[in-house]
Amino acid sequence: MSAFRKSGRGMVDASKPVNFTFDGKAYQGLQGDTLASALLANGVHLTGRSFKYHRPRGIVGAGSEEPNALVAFDRGEGRVTPNVRATTLEIFDGLKAESQNRWPNLKTDIGGFNNIFSMFFPAGFYNKTFKWPASFWDKVYEPFIRNMAGLGPAPKSSDPDVYASVYGHCDVLIVGAGPAGIAAAVAAAKKDQRVILVDEQAEPGGGLLSAQNVEIDGMAAQDWLTKSLTTLRKADNVTVMLRSTAIGYYHDNFVAVNERLTDHIPSVEPGRSREKLHRIRAGKVILAQGGIERPLVFNGNDRPGVMLASAAQTYLGQYGVAVGNEVVVFTSHDSAYQAAFELADANISIAAIVDIRDKISGDLQQAVEARAIDLILGSSVSKTSGKLRINGCEVYTASSGKKQSFQCDALLMSGGWTPSLHLWSHSKGGIKWDADLAAYVPEQANENAVCVGACNGNFGIEAALNAGTKAGGGRKKFKVKEPEFGSGVVLDHLPNYIDSSKQKAFVDFQNDVTEKDIKLAVREGFKSIEHVKRYTTNGMATDQGKTSNLNALEIASKAVGKPIEKVGLTTFRPPYTPTTFGALAGYRDGELFDPTRKTAIDPWAEAQGAVFEPVGIWRRAWYFPKDGEDMHAAVARECKATRDSLGIFDASTLGKIEVVGPDATKFMNLMYSNSWTTLKPGRCRYGLMLREDGYIYDDGVVARMAEDRYHVTTTSGGAPRVYRHMEDYLQTEFQHLDVWLTSTTEQWAVIAINGPNARKLIEPFVEGIDLSKDAFPHMAVREGKICGVPTRLFRVSFTGELGFEINIPSHYGRTVWETLFEAGQSYEICPYGTETMHVLRAEKGFIIVGQDTDGTVTPHDAGMGWAVAKKKKDFVGMRSLKRSDLIADGRKHLIGLLTDDPNVVLEEGAQIVADPNQPIPMDMLGHVTSSYWSESLGRSVAMALVKDGFNRMDETLHVPMPGTTHKAKVVKPVFYDPKGERLNVV
Amino acid sequence: MLFDQAIDIPETLKGDAVSVTLMEERARYNLRIKSTDLTEFKKLTGLKLPRKINTSSAAKDVTCLCVGPDEWFVIAEAKSKAKLDKLLAKASNKFVCSVTDISHRNVGFEITGAKASRLINVGCPLDMAIEAFPVGKVTRTIFESAAILLRRTGEESFQIECWRSFGPYLRDFFVRASRDF
Amino acid sequence: MFEIHCPYCDEKRPEIEFAYAGEAHIVRPNAQDQGEMSDADWSQYMFIRDNVRGEHCERWWHQHGCNMFFNAVRHTVTDKFVMTYKMGKSRPTAKQIADAKK
Repeated sequence: MSAFRKSGRGMVDASKPVNFTFDGKAYQGLQGDTLASALLANGVHLTGRSFKYHRPRGIVGAGSEEPNALVAFDRGEGRVTPNVRATTLEIFDGLKAESQNRWPNLKTDIGGFNNIFSMFFPAGFYNKTFKWPASFWDKVYEPFIRNMAGLGPAPKSSDPDVYASVYGHCDVLIVGAGPAGIAAAVAAAKKDQRVILVDEQAEPGGGLLSAQNVEIDGMAAQDWLTKSLTTLRKADNVTVMLRSTAIGYYHDNFVAVNERLTDHIPSVEPGRSREKLHRIRAGKVILAQGGIERPLVFNGNDRPGVMLASAAQTYLGQYGVAVGNEVVVFTSHDSAYQAAFELADANISIAAIVDIRDKISGDLQQAVEARAIDLILGSSVSKTSGKLRINGCEVYTASSGKKQSFQCDALLMSGGWTPSLHLWSHSKGGIKWDADLAAYVPEQANENAVCVGACNGNFGIEAALNAGTKAGGGRKKFKVKEPEFGSGVVLDHLPNYIDSSKQKAFVDFQNDVTEKDIKLAVREGFKSIEHVKRYTTNGMATDQGKTSNLNALEIASKAVGKPIEKVGLTTFRPPYTPTTFGALAGYRDGELFDPTRKTAIDPWAEAQGAVFEPVGIWRRAWYFPKDGEDMHAAVARECKATRDSLGIFDASTLGKIEVVGPDATKFMNLMYSNSWTTLKPGRCRYGLMLREDGYIYDDGVVARMAEDRYHVTTTSGGAPRVYRHMEDYLQTEFQHLDVWLTSTTEQWAVIAINGPNARKLIEPFVEGIDLSKDAFPHMAVREGKICGVPTRLFRVSFTGELGFEINIPSHYGRTVWETLFEAGQSYEICPYGTETMHVLRAEKGFIIVGQDTDGTVTPHDAGMGWAVAKKKKDFVGMRSLKRSDLIADGRKHLIGLLTDDPNVVLEEGAQIVADPNQPIPMDMLGHVTSSYWSESLGRSVAMALVKDGFNRMDETLHVPMPGTTHKAKVVKPVFYDPKGERLNVV
Repeated sequence: MLFDQAIDIPETLKGDAVSVTLMEERARYNLRIKSTDLTEFKKLTGLKLPRKINTSSAAKDVTCLCVGPDEWFVIAEAKSKAKLDKLLAKASNKFVCSVTDISHRNVGFEITGAKASRLINVGCPLDMAIEAFPVGKVTRTIFESAAILLRRTGEESFQIECWRSFGPYLRDFFVRASRDF
Repeated sequence: MFEIHCPYCDEKRPEIEFAYAGEAHIVRPNAQDQGEMSDADWSQYMFIRDNVRGEHCERWWHQHGCNMFFNAVRHTVTDKFVMTYKMGKSRPTAKQIADAKK
């Protein structure tokens, strides 16, 4: 048993010692300890160095509000979590933790020189100093700041752990399993409602866990707790979630709760989720988060050993740990007396109670005298001493000027209490200033939510139990025997004889913000509390100002000269406590990050060794390398094989929409710039879709299957937006039309067969369709069977060769493909990927929407004025095409480019200029949109958007690229078989 | 002809608490028709289309699901396809309506077991309590990044359909999540 | 994440099933009006929006649900939905909005 452990107290199990290391040194704690309680039991207060000044720091609190004791929690390779609060980290056998912000070690820290020069690091230091000269930023300032600043070590490898997430629903969600939360849960459980009770601690009970001398309805507090928890655990409609932090409260009672599943377990089987994010929708939210004790802002208040009075109470009551042997208590609030009494009753020496107030209640005074404690009223601590831990303090009585020194190894402080409004603030609940409490309390709710107990400003166990019961829908009134909570005062400045410039009185321990910093910020003109916050960084650390906000506000309001309620509270933002990225990602790591859509034919391509590329969330075969070919060689071979004989291509990703109804043609006429009236069933037409602003939105071949039925295809990436675009107009503007849309993208696998032998290949497999040239002309569609399964067979070509697109129900896709591929061996059939498809279409000058257009290109700009019907009265985009800007001279046109050097393949995206010798900045004429090596032509080809392009035919333009500038001639963008004769092979 | 859904369900999804199976081949249709024609439609085809949105009616081998104000899915066993093709073609000729064969657009999973609803709630934000989502209720919704069609077939059994290419994604999600059960 | 009442499903559904679709009650001019509109009038229809601070009529699409577009009144400061209504219904009056808030 260690020196500071008080046997027989608390929830720890004395029969179960736990071995752990801190900074490599071995310690022993007990089952049930946190790292903080275990270190304190070993007499260790020093746990880290501060963020800015690298001052030695110790444990301040006992819960998630802890600003100082942040450690790196090391669970092995890739599993180091920085900035874990020692006060919430449960120990287990083999736990390893390291202190932060120190080098080479905690006791000797080089960065501590910041502390010596702290007068040079005032509020806004970075803003003021690292401004000039600008060229210093990259090389001098940023590396310096990066070395010195930062909280904890950043992980260096990817997180090997897995995480989980789930949606949850309940009628009542209760946050906080202290007396108020438990009473609320018990009451709500009786109402037959679905209840979820969450608490961030491993043990439910909150303040009840350490409560001394409290009786609830004649029962010891701990017995009442056990009884109530048994009731809750037996109830089918109640879920109690421990180690579960409500990290954010969002619209319509949507609360994110992060449950820590494995961090407290010594060895975890691989694959088990470390944390689980519950995304809970609640009918009603009851916030029972309690309150947080405020530190006092006095000179030397950050020395290890200085801590909150309530924390000392918790360490004694819940963990059986004495935070010191010789303790001074410094307070402005009655509640600290109770801490002093409990420690004194556990035989810990209380050297003195120092109270800012001149007078306290007679009852308290008697209780102090009964324990023979030295009470010093109307006084404050003026300084503390000790290097790595407090060893004494000086008490100053302003009225007499008297100074007294005390030896101590711990100093407990209490500046009163702050209701925890974090989640309430997330929910945008209103707050009001309570002058008696000197704190903000909840006012108007913005959601179906209520705060109960201490977080509503109702301190004391009886008040919490009764408020919780009421919120849970119960009527029971509790009778509780407990010490009076009492009252206190708040001062913006504690009297001290030492010149304020020589004092170090910290407000925000985690971000190293002092009282001076806040006053300086106000002097420098920052009057809004939101500005003061950002300038000083008060409340912006990982603790979100849990202990510091109210003190900062008090100081700032006095400095500004406005009452505190006029200054206002800064906004709390999620998460309530630091949260791992893993928890936010949940299951969505690696393969589950996003779906990868694969076609029915994809497994075949994979088996053939295809190289894939992502197209949206589809993955498509890019090219099929053979025998160590590179991409260039493979694509050249695929192009040649297709033009010479036969190519086979998986076009299944094409978007498809079935447009059906008696008004289908009217609808198509409105949605596309082309005319559909003249298209006969059995025929296809290239369709061009515009947005209302007149720019090209999508394109694709459309087949008229019947009078009232169209099979529309869209670009692979464009299918969802085209569907939405159509539905939107249909439901809102063209409601009078009897026509319906069904997405059929995945109904059909699409196999494109291209090349002079295309017809010969499919002929033996097709039933019920006359494939002859005249019976089945180019741009026609027929229904029949292929390989025994139903097909919609298109005769279309995106390559310029004789081509068929075979649509078959997708679950037959792979077998039909394999059958055709097998039969194609006699024609040296060649599977090709998207790259070859792009080359072949570019040789023909067919555009890719989104590559050759960019959302600012009209049909005319793209040289596709022919696709705009002249006689239609209305279609989407028609009026905009007449806007003066869209018909003005000087627009960019899509043209072809042939480089002077046929071997040069221009870079896509390369800029184009008329005169490469003009002064910089040059006048840019446009850019290259598509550019490829054409094996068929034995040279490169390119397409480009160029200002006035149509009027520049045969002009030579210049394309600057790395190293040199290339000359290229403007041509029509049809490079191969301009007359289209190859479609007509018999 | 080989019917290839390209989704293997691993053994780990055959547990007592939750079991996931891939549905066999189905005949599926998207049907759009005006609600005023429903009575006549039933006379002609024998198919009872539920009038209330997000409900379904199951006959012996055909289920009709109302997923929008004028939108239904008709899902049946594969052997009924020829018969339904004819029936619905007949209806197409008689009514102002839209019938589209989407048999191969979707794949379906059956999820059963005491933790079936929990598995669904891993990615679907709807409340799966029996009162909120009773047997027979159906809706389009989402499961993480996949659009799904969800139907409750029993207190502890559901059917989920999604577009074919999202099937492996759902399967992988189920595998990962079921490890935590 | 909001819960949005879909007027077609007649139930509250999670926001991630929905997609925002811009300001409501902006009627597309018919073919004849389009022909007569000046460029300035047309650009007013195309590009100019009120951007109100307060109750805003806007369109939403129950994309992953019943697939219907509908209208909603939503407060642009609090983000809260006040009411939703079917496509084709006219813009709610101030009284209807006030009633919906009760």
